Amino acid sequence: MIYDLAIIGGGPAGVAAGIYAARKKIESVIITDFFGGQSLISASIENWIGDKSISGFDLAKKLENHLRFQQGIDIVEGDTVLRIIKERGRFVCITKNNKKIEAKTLFIASGSRRRKLDIPGEKEFEGRGVFYCSTCDAPLFKDKVVAVVGAGNAGLEAVQDLSLYAKKIYLVDQADTIKGDVVTRERIEKNEKIKIILNIQINKILGDKFLTGFIYLDRNTSQENKLDIDGVFVEIGSVPNSEIVKDFVEINNAGEIIVDHKTQQTSMLGIWAAGDVTDVLYKQNNISVGDAIKAVLNINEYLRGV
Amino acid sequence: MKVIIYTAPNCVYCQMAKDFFSKKGVSYEEKDVSYDQGAFGEMVKKSHQKGVPVIDINNEVFVGFNRNDIEKILKILK
Repeated sequence: MIYDLAIIGGGPAGVAAGIYAARKKIESVIITDFFGGQSLISASIENWIGDKSISGFDLAKKLENHLRFQQGIDIVEGDTVLRIIKERGRFVCITKNNKKIEAKTLFIASGSRRRKLDIPGEKEFEGRGVFYCSTCDAPLFKDKVVAVVGAGNAGLEAVQDLSLYAKKIYLVDQADTIKGDVVTRERIEKNEKIKIILNIQINKILGDKFLTGFIYLDRNTSQENKLDIDGVFVEIGSVPNSEIVKDFVEINNAGEIIVDHKTQQTSMLGIWAAGDVTDVLYKQNNISVGDAIKAVLNINEYLRGV
Repeated sequence: MKVIIYTAPNCVYCQMAKDFFSKKGVSYEEKDVSYDQGAFGEMVKKSHQKGVPVIDINNEVFVGFNRNDIEKILKILK
């Protein structure tokens, strides 16, 4: 079977594309490990249009239900596209479970993944003191001392999650300012449990069986210091999942797929992209949805030879 | 088959794991390690780490929720 369209990714962009493709009767398949995208682990999303507040988990369920309600779209869940090859003008997606899925066009909505610190000890102590999901693991830090690395919105959210449990929280960043939203920042600055240390560089995670702290360079004083903590939560941004198409389409220095923002077309005919994997200026669930729809409407015209 | 899922409140992957087992019709015991210190110690001892979820299927221990891994072992056990 050769599909008209293969959609890669099950976040807001992928699901929006699936729904529009089904309604346009484009023969399509969607391939995703899970539904919901990166917001899945968000405790509360307050800017998803149409919901005052919704958890990432509930949003994922809503997206999945809306997609499954459509007729005529195949859903491959629990699988990931590892490689794409071009054969006789068609794209063949090869998945982790060794499936081969052939399609005339591709829509890439593979999103992005957590950036890691990439320093000694990080991998070794993952789950043993180094954590990446504050909504998941914050409750385990009751009366403990923790650090959050990264003072963007995700970092500030992690501090908030942890402030319900931990007895002391260090918020640290390599920049010398806090980039997160003013409202959250003000709330955090007032909280006596929270200490902010800016303009530092973390060099090494320390520990024995479990993490005990980290060594950092304080750029304000040019001194190396040690911070004793029970856990560290890493919230330092993301890396686009663009590797699968890097041989086909143009990618910028940040690893993002460069698209035409009017149509979401990439530099290769037959491949479209939307969401966090692209060079869209603002990475937002609502924007990913809109951009994905633009792409599918354009794919529809392409397939019908308009 | 004996399944124990070590969880914490608001943990999405824990919820996904629980939904998965329910859908498969496999019953499980849930242990919330955020308040049950005994369960927390048990989880750390089994998994050598402190993150949730941890899934114990007939004494085989999985850290995190990986649907494929769990599906594979369920097939073998069934």
